[in-house]
Amino acid sequence: MITYMDVLKEIHSGPIVSERDFDLKIFAPKLQETLKAHDVKFDPKNPVPDDDGLADDVWDAAKVFYSDVGTYCLDTERRVKFDENDVSLTLRTAPSEFIFGEGKERRTLTQRKPEDGTAPWCFLGAGGAAVSSEANLLSLVQNYAAIPEINSLTSPGLTSVNGVRIAGGSPLEIYGAIRAVGLARQALSRAGKPGLPIMNCISTASSAIATIAASQPQFGLRPSDGWLCGTIAEMKVDYGVLSKGAYLLSWGANVGSETAPVLGGYAGGPEGTALVNTAYNIMGAVIQKASYQLSFPVHFKFGCNTDRHSLWSISLSGQAISRNSALPVFMLGYLASGPMTDMVLYETAAWVIAAVASGAHVEAEGVCKATHIDHFTPMEPRFAGEVAHAAARIKRNFANELVNGLLSKYEEKIKNPPIGMTYQECYDTNTGEPREDYLKLYSRIKKELEDLGLEFRY
Amino acid sequence: MNQKQDVLDRLRAAVVAGDETKVKEIVQEAIRENVDPLEAIEKSLIPGIREVGEKFERMELFLTNMMLSADAMKAGMSLLLPRVPKDKIPKRGTVVAGTVKGDIHEIGKNVLAALLTANGFDVHDIGCDVQASAFVRKAEEVSADIIAASALMTTTLPGQKDIVDYLKSMGKREKYVVIVGGGPTTAEWAEDIGADGYAETAVDGVKLALRKLQEKK
Amino acid sequence: MNVTKRALTGPICSERDFDQRIFAPKLAEALKQCEIKFDPDVLIPSDDGTADDLFKAAMGFYADVGTYCLDTERIIKFDEDEIKEGLRDAPSQAVFGEELDAGVLRPRQPESRELPWCFIGAGGAPVSSEEIFLSLVQAYGEINLADAVTTPELTMIDGLPIRVQTPLEIFGSIRNAILGRDALRRAGRPGLPIMNALATAASDTALIAALQPMYGLRPSDGYFVATMAELKTNYELMNKACVLTTLGARIGTLAGCVMGGYCGGPEGTALTVTAHHAHGILVNQATYHLNHPAHMKYISNSSPEMLWLISMYAQAVSRNTHLLSLNLNYTSAGSATDMALYEIAAQVITAVVSGVSIEAVGLARAVYVDHLTPIEPRFAAEVAHAAAGLKRADANEIVKALVKKYVHKIPNAPAGQRYQDCFDMRTGKPSRECVETYTRVKNELEDLGLGFKY
Repeated sequence: MITYMDVLKEIHSGPIVSERDFDLKIFAPKLQETLKAHDVKFDPKNPVPDDDGLADDVWDAAKVFYSDVGTYCLDTERRVKFDENDVSLTLRTAPSEFIFGEGKERRTLTQRKPEDGTAPWCFLGAGGAAVSSEANLLSLVQNYAAIPEINSLTSPGLTSVNGVRIAGGSPLEIYGAIRAVGLARQALSRAGKPGLPIMNCISTASSAIATIAASQPQFGLRPSDGWLCGTIAEMKVDYGVLSKGAYLLSWGANVGSETAPVLGGYAGGPEGTALVNTAYNIMGAVIQKASYQLSFPVHFKFGCNTDRHSLWSISLSGQAISRNSALPVFMLGYLASGPMTDMVLYETAAWVIAAVASGAHVEAEGVCKATHIDHFTPMEPRFAGEVAHAAARIKRNFANELVNGLLSKYEEKIKNPPIGMTYQECYDTNTGEPREDYLKLYSRIKKELEDLGLEFRY
Repeated sequence: MNQKQDVLDRLRAAVVAGDETKVKEIVQEAIRENVDPLEAIEKSLIPGIREVGEKFERMELFLTNMMLSADAMKAGMSLLLPRVPKDKIPKRGTVVAGTVKGDIHEIGKNVLAALLTANGFDVHDIGCDVQASAFVRKAEEVSADIIAASALMTTTLPGQKDIVDYLKSMGKREKYVVIVGGGPTTAEWAEDIGADGYAETAVDGVKLALRKLQEKK
Repeated sequence: MNVTKRALTGPICSERDFDQRIFAPKLAEALKQCEIKFDPDVLIPSDDGTADDLFKAAMGFYADVGTYCLDTERIIKFDEDEIKEGLRDAPSQAVFGEELDAGVLRPRQPESRELPWCFIGAGGAPVSSEEIFLSLVQAYGEINLADAVTTPELTMIDGLPIRVQTPLEIFGSIRNAILGRDALRRAGRPGLPIMNALATAASDTALIAALQPMYGLRPSDGYFVATMAELKTNYELMNKACVLTTLGARIGTLAGCVMGGYCGGPEGTALTVTAHHAHGILVNQATYHLNHPAHMKYISNSSPEMLWLISMYAQAVSRNTHLLSLNLNYTSAGSATDMALYEIAAQVITAVVSGVSIEAVGLARAVYVDHLTPIEPRFAAEVAHAAAGLKRADANEIVKALVKKYVHKIPNAPAGQRYQDCFDMRTGKPSRECVETYTRVKNELEDLGLGFKY
């Protein structure tokens, strides 16, 4: 079985290759070769494919692809490669149950399967987007915690501390991370859910030092939260990622393998993106010793993943992973549009249905591509949670119909989406109540989905 | 088919195929056949890379293809340009592109660099996690027209402002066009920090660069 | 936060310009003001006025120059009033350690009878194995005169060499913390502070990773935040200070000014080390100041000019502030040699009589793996206690006599022996040869007039 020390040995002794050669002479050709050999083809008419054989094929192809290509370490300029037998054995013996949270919020996470009827884990909130003030962070998190379907929180990030903009790698990032963590835990306590796991630790901190610094017990985070270690596109790591992992594993924390293949980048089109996303699950289990994979393929042109190509990649890789791997996979939706628009709820419904019907859990969600400060509210993840539970009980072919129908409502607008309004414009941030017109919009879209056949719990 | 046209067609095809070795071979052949180097550039290399750029925008080709074709095209240029009389060398805009300090995301920047090359720019890609002063030093070294700075995280955005500040402190702000882009970058942010422009996507980045270059002239 | 703001908004300047157009000229100006001059005959001066002039010039110098931030390429500046305020508000005492092993670090004065704080052990030198690490640290803990311990640095983890800024450094630092605390428990002194947290952690990530309480380190230990030469910092160092202050930990600011580098000669170096105390409080948020000036060629700080500059800065700081300042000595010679003991005696006497406490000892410049034993730190503490209360003029004679014994050997100093070659690691007992060398040198010192208490 491959241990973390084996990985560290290999990053210092594996075959030397420049990054460019890894990308262009190893990764890309092998990807094309694998796709050809397994005849994986994007079907624009079916964004939610219903073909177990294809899904399993993608998994097998991903295993071979990963064993051939390995993981690239940017700092040592070497490939980390293990043979297929070692990879298979490590996958077979890896844990399959992971515990998150404390007290009455403590829960076990396991892999789902397409159409198995089980409710997905709903990891709800901001999708890592940033707020302009600590007051907004407190208000948002408290209201996320009130969502009935929430199993874990995705907390917003701060952009400044005491009026000074946070600069990555600097002490400000550390202060920002400590501040954000403390506020989020406080907000959860106010909502009566102090044990709810925060699974995107730490959204204000991308660097290893800030993550590690803010994990000190007195600040509020725990090993039973979820700690993201971001990989680098594509199939790369560096000392920073591995150092975070070393620390978290020593601490006994849940490591989240954060993966974001770029559709249109080195992963190529939707077929390559689906395969690479699947290979990332293998990498997460073997290299990062993760407790969960958090995946958000992104379209290079649109910056979101609710377009047809991305949905197909999400669905196919979701099926490949959920049918074959013990490492639970979450899909994170990045929406083009913003709050208080029809489009944001259509997009939400589309990607959530696609992901859940394909066996994945959901992190919901990155509204407005998670790039516009304050442009997200509790409404979108609330809606996502409700759709997720409804979608748990449907077949893939029905999901496909629904998604096609939803796409027809917004697909053309992806290039120029409406960014909608800020949290404070569509909610009373003191009471946590949405504006009347947003409630009406939500009810209308929900009814549309019900009319199409999606059965909500309430 | 006339021999010269055949060479030009094959050269363009080799660029589209991203075959650097073949490009070099065909360029040597073109030199032996006394094909005008400027013609080879304007009728083969540039149209070839432009075709790749257009296919990329239509998602018929992807980043890997773009980069291979850009490399192939640059290889051809490096053999042909020395043979072009100095006064006839097409004036291309020069861009220094990089990802700011503390940020190692580079796909977006790579896409931009490749598309800019496809659109006739001379691009100096200085990589990722680059200090503000390094952007400026490179721009000085290559007499750039444009500095393009990418940031993919809210916590590394300030690196874009650092470049503008650095230029101001050196009294060189007016010398360069500064354009910014990458995930959390917005038009408002670009205006706040005193950048000259913002692009949401790499394709927009190219359009912006072309417009700014035109304005500079 | 204040420091970070200044690092982000201070005047922009290239590193080269900072070194050559600001630091160097301002240093020359400041030296003219205080008119200090190295005199090889007076290694421990008794001139209070000169010490005070040096201090004044150093503070003015720091107000002019500031601290350079390498990551932002800007200068962090404080004005004279802020410096005065910083000095006034800096800690004037600090409790380290827990329970029975807790102690209070206090400022001293030149010629003071007040016993110096003895922070003793490996001086951060490297060891090849965890077994050696455990054995050494236990032995340090068993030295009665130890007020705090400096642990060695691990070089391997599970058979792999530790590399800075990698996951191996994180694993190594965690192991350093765990083993350090365990060794002190075995010595029967679980509360004794480790004041060089952490020798294995050069990077911010590794240090902070090892702070998880379950690994054994506590806020009452001492944590190093270094300075880059000269008067420079970077995000990594600022990050360390940021996290440590947030956790309420005691920060030790390091100043390893290079004599012969940007500081120039011994005079400039004495001034720069003094100025570093202001930087230490204001930028590194320090509780204590650990100074280890280095000779450009020899690295060690036992040569005459180094002793002189140690005495100068120590007197300047101790006479004019209540700062908690310590000198770390680096010898040229290695363990189990009489030369190392002569060097230690000269360095420790100089430091203690001049008004500071000590960290001892970086044997053979702390570069040879396993070349360290518990004898030298024990000896250093005994010398330190003996030197408390000596007059500077008398100490000067003793130190000059010691220097004669080794100065000519500095360029080719013996590396000494490895710990495992001169000690029984199971029992902690030294070889007969080691004991004889120690006893002989101690007798020589007594003959020179140093009255050991033990």
